[in-house]
Amino acid sequence: MSHIKRLSLASITMIIGLSLPAYAVEEITGLIVMQAVDDNQRATNDSSFTRLKLSSCKFGINKGRIACAESPRVKVLESVAVNYGESLKDTKSVSITIEPASERGIGMLTYSYDQEDRDNQTWLYLSALGRVKRIAGGDSEGDTEPASLFGSEFTTEDTDTGKLTEYQVNLLEETTRSNRAVWKLEMIPNKARAKKSRYSRTVHYIDKSRYVALRSEMYDKYGKEIKRSVASRVELVNDNWIARSVTMMNLVSNRLSNMALIEIYTDLDINDDFLTQRTLTDTAYREATLKQLRAQLD
Amino acid sequence: MIFRDVLLILCLLVPMALGQAVEIQLAEEGALAEDELIFADDLFTDAFDIIEDVDSGSWRDGLTIRLSQQISGQVNHHLVEPIPGYLLSKHGDLENNRFGINLRYQNAFALGWLLQGSWQARAYWSGDYVFTTNNDNIDTEYRVNELFVQRSLDQQSVKLGRQTVVWGETVGNSALDVINHTEYRDFGTIDIEDARLNQWMLVWDVFKDTGNWSSFINLYPEFNPQPVVGSPFYVSLPYEINDYIRSDKTLFEAGTQWSKSFEGSDIALMVAYLYENQLRYPQTKQQLIKSAALANDFVLLGLSANRAVGKLLLTADIALSHGVLLDESTLSGGGGFGLANNIKKDQVALSLGFEYGISNLQSLSVSIQAKKMLDERHGLAAEHQLTNKGIYGSWLVRYSNQVMNNNLSLSATMQGDLEGDTGLLFLGADYSVNDHWQISGQIISITSRKTSPLSIFDQDLRLGLIVTYVF
Repeated sequence: MSHIKRLSLASITMIIGLSLPAYAVEEITGLIVMQAVDDNQRATNDSSFTRLKLSSCKFGINKGRIACAESPRVKVLESVAVNYGESLKDTKSVSITIEPASERGIGMLTYSYDQEDRDNQTWLYLSALGRVKRIAGGDSEGDTEPASLFGSEFTTEDTDTGKLTEYQVNLLEETTRSNRAVWKLEMIPNKARAKKSRYSRTVHYIDKSRYVALRSEMYDKYGKEIKRSVASRVELVNDNWIARSVTMMNLVSNRLSNMALIEIYTDLDINDDFLTQRTLTDTAYREATLKQLRAQLD
Repeated sequence: MIFRDVLLILCLLVPMALGQAVEIQLAEEGALAEDELIFADDLFTDAFDIIEDVDSGSWRDGLTIRLSQQISGQVNHHLVEPIPGYLLSKHGDLENNRFGINLRYQNAFALGWLLQGSWQARAYWSGDYVFTTNNDNIDTEYRVNELFVQRSLDQQSVKLGRQTVVWGETVGNSALDVINHTEYRDFGTIDIEDARLNQWMLVWDVFKDTGNWSSFINLYPEFNPQPVVGSPFYVSLPYEINDYIRSDKTLFEAGTQWSKSFEGSDIALMVAYLYENQLRYPQTKQQLIKSAALANDFVLLGLSANRAVGKLLLTADIALSHGVLLDESTLSGGGGFGLANNIKKDQVALSLGFEYGISNLQSLSVSIQAKKMLDERHGLAAEHQLTNKGIYGSWLVRYSNQVMNNNLSLSATMQGDLEGDTGLLFLGADYSVNDHWQISGQIISITSRKTSPLSIFDQDLRLGLIVTYVF
């Protein structure tokens, strides 16, 4: 049996939706900025249909520019997610692998809960297995190390939202990045969070007018920058600015991953029945429902 | 010779698979220290082109093709004693040298309709046991694995065609996974998922808040095929055995399952009228010439459940089979040349398993399946020796680990019977060279006591290599 990934695809969109609405406060603090980011991420994930492409490769320098040193590995996935519960902090999502061909049709259904004492629920469908299988994945926090998203350089830690109380957020300066005015801020995990984190400090550059993280730098406990993400294709989607392409570079392994939001639509009318095990096994039903979802977009 | 040829092919293929000629130098430490990064113009610029690819509506979108070349063989020179006093010398020999094509097609051709199918073809090259039994000629084989049409409505779905029905929670070792017949042709087929064969059925699913119902009817039950001549499981008999001869008697199988999910748990109840997948062969005087197979019907009652506790998943399957014949199966899935095959009995079977997600990349699962034939000696002659006595069954341990950015999958599977007579160790490594090419290596080791029906495989050591291209 192929290996099992216990990752909520819905959370993947969060890193790309790193934007925040105009925040009408007199004095902006780092925490306020990141809180707004957090709220916005939930909004971009709610009642959404997403198709994303994840490309990974070893990278190098060619004529002063960063380029892949090998053919990139590519995964294409489709995901539908709906937020539930108090403050819409619980999420039901279903994701289907489109590419590569060897993994085509693998489906995953996840119910993730905000409550710490409530285990997430995940079911996986592998055509070779012939049935839906429940996966025990524990709660969303977990005690294990951050895990790679589908073998890419993005990890669960990069996509994690909320838990801002576990960080000290400092607004460092107002500066420019890629010719745009940005807030430069840092997030430092507290002791409890630091035990589960690979980063001792993360620096974000937030676009002040579009509220998008244009760049993020992750540092290890020795203060060395180990990863860096760069956003591009910042576009307005349902009144939210979203970076539809984010590239994460691992500066230690010289490997990078690009996450491209090929399609993202939010505020769709999604029937609760779609976020059940039936969607994993009943392909005729799934495709029919997806067609109806796409019809809402026209 | 053949191993050498395959290695040569691999040496040629791998650099091709690795793709483009690379003139790009890996970044040195500090090379990316500058504030502004510049990406190459063509870096991921085509990422958004996929919209057109996916929405093209071409029939080709749902087609997946897998090409594979496999070689494997028994490599340990040793002696075995399958019958007391009879020593058999086993030499290292190639068993499999075959090329395979697998096609899988899925097309939702209209709203609520789906056509799905999979086909496979095999070509057996020099050194393969099929080649040898074909008088040293290349042989080919073709079959339809899966082919069904599905119609889904509001809360119902109907599937008609060749398909599988899988019941039970304990993966690979479920007492309830008995609906479809199976074929363990080679030792490389370890997982029941790979051995399961499809059958022509009508499956009707109903999805309700109160639970889901899944029912099937099969008007053409099929049985485990006989071992292929020359394969490791083939045993030459002094008489001919025939497949089941379908006469005027109409065979059918039918069953229904109710299932419901709760937070942290899934539960299912089921009942079915089935035929045993393994045919039986009565011992008569005519057996000196040939023996016709008997098909045996029985009723299955089952319960399956799972419970997730943190990273631990507990599974349980309980099966009560009413009216089965004496179970003479072995770990290899064979058996069935039964005595007293007209005595029907009841059997209780239990599968218990736990799966532990050590991390997102590592998992461990352990399961046992225990069976007991009720009143097993009732009606038998005193001299009748049972293949399976008392509580018997099997155990299964699996460990898997993903490394190298999920490109290398390592697995270990150990399997044996509860009596400790036979044990099988399977080590596998699957390396994805890129999104299309994969290389897999297998090591299979078997130990068996002389009293076991599998004693002929004692100390066998098999090595295998499979190169796969998927597109």
